[in-house]
Amino acid sequence: MLMSGGIDSPVALHYLLRQGHEMLAAHLDNRPFTDDSPLEKIVDHLRLLRERYGQPIPLYVLPHGPTQIALMRGTDRHFGCVLCRRFMWRSAERIAEREGASFLATGEALGQVASQTLSNMRSATASVRLPVVRPLIGFDKAEIEAVAKEIGTYAISTRPGVCCQAVPDRPATRSDLVQILREEERVDVEQILDDCLRRSVVL
Amino acid sequence: MYRALRLCSHGGGFEAIPDPPQDLDLGRIRASLEAAGVAVVDARVLLIASLEPEVTISRSGRLLFKTGDEAAARRALRRLLEIAPLDAPRRRRASSPTG
Repeated sequence: MLMSGGIDSPVALHYLLRQGHEMLAAHLDNRPFTDDSPLEKIVDHLRLLRERYGQPIPLYVLPHGPTQIALMRGTDRHFGCVLCRRFMWRSAERIAEREGASFLATGEALGQVASQTLSNMRSATASVRLPVVRPLIGFDKAEIEAVAKEIGTYAISTRPGVCCQAVPDRPATRSDLVQILREEERVDVEQILDDCLRRSVVL
Repeated sequence: MYRALRLCSHGGGFEAIPDPPQDLDLGRIRASLEAAGVAVVDARVLLIASLEPEVTISRSGRLLFKTGDEAAARRALRRLLEIAPLDAPRRRRASSPTG
C-alpha cells in the first residue's frame, strides 16, 4: 500500500485491512522536496490502524528525493508528476516482489489532483506488472473525509506540512505513454531504482 | 520584488512570491550560497539551500521556507538576500536581428 501522509491512503488501507488482507506499507520519502511531516503522519496513521486491526503492517521508507533530482535534471518538467509516479510504482513493486505480495494498492480517486486523471494513472501504472488496487477510485472527497474522521486518521492527515516542491508549475493532466517513455530514456531507470532500494529502511 | 510572506497551502511553511515573476540565474545563486558556506541541492529547475530553516528557490523567484514560524522565515529571507543575487536574471543569448 503506497502511503503519502494525506487523507486518502489510510482510508484505502482501512478498507483492505477490513477485508482481511495482510498488508505492507511503503512511503516514497520526498525529502528535501517536502519536510518531515508526511513520514510523521504515516507513522501515526499506521499506529492507529495497527491497533485497530491487530496487524504489524511493516512500513518501508524509500528515499525518493534523489529520484526527483534525477528527473528534474534529465527530463521535461511538464511530465514531472507522471514520471514521479512511475518511479514510485516501480519502487513499490520491487518491495512487493521481494516480500511476495500479490498486488499494489493506492488511495487514488479519479480527478482529485493533476496526477489522478485516467490517462495519467494509466501512464503511471504501465511501469509495473503487478495488479493495482484502488479501493477509493469512485469516491468523492467528502465521502473519503467522512471515513477518515470515523477511523481517526483525518486529524493526523490535516496537520500542517509543506507541499511537494517538485510539482511543476503546469503539470501534464493528459499524458501519452509514447511521449513518457521517450522522456524516461533520458535517465538511467535501473540505476535510480537500485539506489532507491539500497537506501530503503523498514520501520 | 518580494512584498509579503504568506503561509503555503498546506500550512507548514511560508512562501514569498515575487512580483513580477523572475527568471533567475540559479547557477549564480548557487555559487553565491556555496561561497558563503551554505550547502545547496541543485535540481536544475530549483535550489534547496540549507539555511535555518531550509529554503527552496525556484527559477521563477518563488521561495518556500520550511518552517511554520514567520519570524524565522523572515530571518532566513534577509540572510538569503544578503548572500545571493535574487534580482539577477539569467543571461540570454542575443537574438539575431529580424526584418
